[in-house]
Amino acid sequence: MPAHRSTMGSKFRTRSSSPMELRPMLSEVSVLSRSDGSASFSQGDCCALAAVYGPGEVKVAKELSDKASVEVVFKMKVGLPGCKEKIQERILRNTCETAIAATLYPRTAIDIVIQEMHNSGSFLATCINCVCMAMLDACVDMKYLVAAVTCGLNSEGELILDPTLEQESDLTALMIFAYESSNFEVIATYTTGSFTSDQFQICLIHCREASKHIFQFFRDTMARKLSK
Amino acid sequence: MAADFKTAQPVEYYRKFLEKDVRPDGRELGEIRPTMINIGSISTAEGSALVKLGNTTVLCGVKAEVTNPKSEEPDKGIIVPNVDLPALCSPRFRPGPPSEQAQVVSQFMVEVIQNSGCIDPKDLCIKAGKHVWVLYCDLVCLDYDGNVTDACVLALMAALKNVSLPKVTLNEESGNLETHMQEKWGLNILCQPVATTFAIFDDCIVFADPTDEEENLATGKVTIVTTEEDKICFVHKPGGSPLSDDKLQNCLQRSFIRAREARNLVETTLVNVDR
Amino acid sequence: MAGLELLSDQGFRIDGRRPHELRRIQCRMGVFGQAEGSAYVEQGNTKVLAAVYGPHEIRGSRGKMQPDKVLINCQYSMATFSTGERKRRPRGDRKSQEMTKHLQQTFEAAVLTHLYPRSQIDIFVEVLQSDGGNYCASVNAATLAIIDAGIPMKDYVCACSASYIEDNPVVDINYLEESSGSAELIMAMLPKSEQIVLLQMNSRLHEDNLSKVMDMATQGCKDVHSILDTAVREHLTSSIALQDSSVT
Repeated sequence: MPAHRSTMGSKFRTRSSSPMELRPMLSEVSVLSRSDGSASFSQGDCCALAAVYGPGEVKVAKELSDKASVEVVFKMKVGLPGCKEKIQERILRNTCETAIAATLYPRTAIDIVIQEMHNSGSFLATCINCVCMAMLDACVDMKYLVAAVTCGLNSEGELILDPTLEQESDLTALMIFAYESSNFEVIATYTTGSFTSDQFQICLIHCREASKHIFQFFRDTMARKLSK
Repeated sequence: MAADFKTAQPVEYYRKFLEKDVRPDGRELGEIRPTMINIGSISTAEGSALVKLGNTTVLCGVKAEVTNPKSEEPDKGIIVPNVDLPALCSPRFRPGPPSEQAQVVSQFMVEVIQNSGCIDPKDLCIKAGKHVWVLYCDLVCLDYDGNVTDACVLALMAALKNVSLPKVTLNEESGNLETHMQEKWGLNILCQPVATTFAIFDDCIVFADPTDEEENLATGKVTIVTTEEDKICFVHKPGGSPLSDDKLQNCLQRSFIRAREARNLVETTLVNVDR
Repeated sequence: MAGLELLSDQGFRIDGRRPHELRRIQCRMGVFGQAEGSAYVEQGNTKVLAAVYGPHEIRGSRGKMQPDKVLINCQYSMATFSTGERKRRPRGDRKSQEMTKHLQQTFEAAVLTHLYPRSQIDIFVEVLQSDGGNYCASVNAATLAIIDAGIPMKDYVCACSASYIEDNPVVDINYLEESSGSAELIMAMLPKSEQIVLLQMNSRLHEDNLSKVMDMATQGCKDVHSILDTAVREHLTSSIALQDSSVT
């Protein structure tokens, strides 16, 4: 299947403009020929590639009688996987388990593999968005879409949405939120650094607004793919 | 009869209790199990603490060694936490390499120490570029009855408060390290992070401090780590049911209260321990 | 070791004991909720925990299943902070594997294995603080844990160590005495029948002194047996008292 590309170039300018805007997003679906679904997603310079295999045969040890068993493997560009990768796999796996209507596929396995292509800040959010696109491409039934947004707080307490790698180094706190598309409630969070409860609330609200743009982007990409 | 119902339909069993806002072990939804801390029981370790959160038991031992610092941070000491969930703590863990759960909790501890800034790594420096202290914090779970993250964080904090290191100076002429065992100094703990874990059940009910059975039935989990002055240093929600903002706010408030109780408990226990 | 007198002129050892005295033993049964049987034993400064799971279905390789006996699976592990220097590998190194094998052989001899064919019993031992006599404390703790789990045994298995320091046989040696280089004898036995389950000795010992040291160890095992027996009876009476009070 030929790859379908979609960009949101005109609406979002580059980094030099307001810190409340997301980096330009680029996405291609069906990039791999052997997997059931695949997508490559990039936000600014940050890029990830995800492949979804399933629902398919499951090993007897992992079989669940009422749901699909979801497994996530996270591959870094260099080096062997360590504890840090395990926590990211755990977050991705639990997010996918909630989003997929797993009870529709009992006794099957859905395997998701994510390859890091380029890490330029807020990488976990890019991975979550990439996985959601890949699952859409694989036509796996989902209860809702998942979009992730990163935001950071610098030393003056200002909010920066979607920081790059250079900006990340001066931040006092970094937060990643994953939202679902039906009620915009929080599915997953991951934070670094320390902050107060009020700052947390403000970031939640701003990231929620930003996630709506990402959901719209998902829809536009799939509309382009299906209209051809 | 109740036991048969519980085995056959565990979710329904739980729902019947939750309708009356209580849990099978008699606790309310926001209540945490009784916590017991014992500090300084292992004499071979530089600092140690045993925490019992209900039935969940975690033992933390801190051992200190002198090593060369990392080349990119020559004046900072190193803290290495490691969580071990051995086969003896629960029938779900088999003997073998560390399970995914153990690795996730280990990484969680690394993040908590980094994010909260509870110890300044510069305090652990003996001679910049040559010798620094490395603190190996090993947490062993002895009995796994749910909520091992909270118990681990509490055990680590209590053990770090108990650590006493001998003074080590570098003899300039001979280039050797001299240890003065008589002069011992404790670590300067800047802040004390405390973790509170909540489980989400059936997409709408949130309760604090889940036991092992509750963890199996839960559809999601949230862990919030707070430090003094009501600052949050880690919010970990690894997927699971979506949570609305006001429920998240409730969890935050509850974790602040719990953090104060836990810190008081550690303080009172420390007062009774001889250094 | 220069300057360290293992046995003083008045007949006192480093920790103030007489040669025939055991270290203070404290034990508790039923310490864990998850395991079927569990026990905690403190022998002097050596602290050991044991947990028993089973009998249950064979996990892992079906090939090890025996049609007429139960499979006893042990794991001996030392916490990294249990020794003076941090122990890098808690389990899987040679010493731990040797200990595991010894424990397995000891309990295969004591447990009534023919009662549970095609099943598996797991015995996990964790050493929290090590000050000599690790194997002995492990065996004692595992015995209590097996009794707590309700698995039938031929008799208690009691273990004790003995050594020969400066022409005197001594019982229950600690870490300093172990590392002094004198002969160390470890014995595990079934006290009522006086049958030896495991006997191990290292370093050199003159043949004439062997019987003295073995007698010392036998007496030590019998003393350990009486302590363990008292602990089991106390635990039973207190748990029966609790049950009675909850029923009425």
